Amino acid sequence: MADTMRAQVEDLSPVTVGRRGAPSRPRTATSAMRRALPYLAILPTLGTFLILLGYPVLLVILLSFQKYNLAELFNHRTIWIGLDNYREILGNPEFISVVIRTFLFTIANVALTIGLGTLVALLLDRLGRWMRLAVSMAMVLAWSVPAVTGSVIFQWLFDSKFGVVNWALNTIGLFGDFTNHSWFDSGLSTFAIITMLMVWQAAPFVAFSLFAGIGSISKEQYEAARVDGAGEWAVFRWITLPSLAPLFMILTFLSSIWDFKVFTQIWTMRQGGPNNETVTLAIYAYQVGIAGNRFGIAAAVSCVMVALLLVVLVPYIRSMVRTQEGA
Amino acid sequence: MSRRRLRRAMINGVAALVFVLFAFPVYWMVNSAFKPPDEIQTYVPVFLPTSPTLSNFANAIGQPHFADFLRNSLFVSFSTVALALLVGLLAAVTVARVRFRGRKGFLLLVAIAQMAPFEGLLIPIYLVIRGTPLYNQVPSLIVVYFIFTLPFTIWSLRGFVSGIPVDLEEAAMVDGCSRFGAFRHVVFPLLLPGIVSTAIFGYITAWNEFLYANAFMTNVSNYTLPVWLATFRTSFGIDWGGTMAAATLFTLPVLVFFLIVQGRMVGGLTAGAVKG
Repeated sequence: MADTMRAQVEDLSPVTVGRRGAPSRPRTATSAMRRALPYLAILPTLGTFLILLGYPVLLVILLSFQKYNLAELFNHRTIWIGLDNYREILGNPEFISVVIRTFLFTIANVALTIGLGTLVALLLDRLGRWMRLAVSMAMVLAWSVPAVTGSVIFQWLFDSKFGVVNWALNTIGLFGDFTNHSWFDSGLSTFAIITMLMVWQAAPFVAFSLFAGIGSISKEQYEAARVDGAGEWAVFRWITLPSLAPLFMILTFLSSIWDFKVFTQIWTMRQGGPNNETVTLAIYAYQVGIAGNRFGIAAAVSCVMVALLLVVLVPYIRSMVRTQEGA
Repeated sequence: MSRRRLRRAMINGVAALVFVLFAFPVYWMVNSAFKPPDEIQTYVPVFLPTSPTLSNFANAIGQPHFADFLRNSLFVSFSTVALALLVGLLAAVTVARVRFRGRKGFLLLVAIAQMAPFEGLLIPIYLVIRGTPLYNQVPSLIVVYFIFTLPFTIWSLRGFVSGIPVDLEEAAMVDGCSRFGAFRHVVFPLLLPGIVSTAIFGYITAWNEFLYANAFMTNVSNYTLPVWLATFRTSFGIDWGGTMAAATLFTLPVLVFFLIVQGRMVGGLTAGAVKG
């Protein structure tokens, strides 16, 4: 329908041009102009992609095969060293532990985000109008908070001296004494707070998406299942879950991308500390490159980061393409 | 009947818990921003400030260079949005309304560009900028944020343009409007809400961005607001009231903008992904 309408308008426009255009102008020039017009309109975008996106992509790959430190930057020298940068980082146990840490961090974050988001979506579906509005408002609030703000707030919540969390844990009294407990003394504890921050910020998006998805599942399916005597869990397992499978796929895909290469929340919390125990790949590339001026190595780290992301996500991309084709 | 009531009470109880967990951090930021020092530095938290004060906000605004940070952030965000809209609108309208060879390929390119991992491109973009007079200059961020936001801008505007029936343009053209005239007088007014929400999204992206702003700017006077906020421990010491006031000031415009557009953002990313 839309296509036929579009075709109509295109049939119509030459008439309009013919009527309004000066008859003295050669017809072929006008039609060549008309044919060139769409390309002229997308030219600024294409130029931007090519120069501001294509060139950096090419450059990061080239840099990863070069010795490129501060000296090379100032002397404008190009020294090709083949795979030496990759050999250096892959032979470095510190780098390997950064990679493993990044994966564990991503898996924990994605699992918790999707899990909590699903629970909240199911909750929203069962709430009355006013409670639903209240919970939705809280979700929008958490979702909208900028990463840096979130990081600053969580550092205040978990402040060792006057933080409200230590007070609350002491008041509950079940977990021992938290007076002056410092949350940022160990890597694991710091990661726990970063994860809480990230799940708090990302779960609302997952919850809203899934809630919208639940709403679009036909009510007859639920009724039929209930008539057949299915309980709450069976309905979720056999109707809600399969219907939402493609949505879960996309949400897992997006969350994995976001969490794997996250920088701001980790950096603003403790700059990768304590003792570099919260350094992930994005932080590592920054430390080596921007802070350490070893651009070639940092480029290799960036390339490995993106390559790992691609490898992990290939199954997702493939199944997403398959779903799209099936639909 | 009573079992049903119990179930309802349980669900509402969980909802109340979820509400508190998600709203509390934001509440605590605003609450702390209005508290005098003796209500902040206390082991028993004060949940409602008994004598609210604006002195924390005065402290935050009175910090050296605050005006610079605010001006830099506003300048970068507005310029990014203006540039992305200008270039993006041109491409979006073309893709939505004109059939041309390579249209599908162009759309694919936009989709790929939207997924570009910018965290991985920091090093090459940093080096390129370092080789130009833009290094350590605020406008360098506009260049970067422009390419961040352009793919989404095109994608989003294209959707809004497609949603406007072609009949309307057609009718205007039959009545003697030129193609541009039809766009200017018929499509553009209908497109305005779409342009506004796309612009807001771009604005939030630029306003919040930290990684590049932190890496590019070496002079304090060239910092943007998020870079300043992230250095609170050096600039505010342990003045949590001042820090929370600064965070509130920085976050408020985002909250307002977000409320305007959030309904549209959920659908956009995952549209059509449910098996009926």
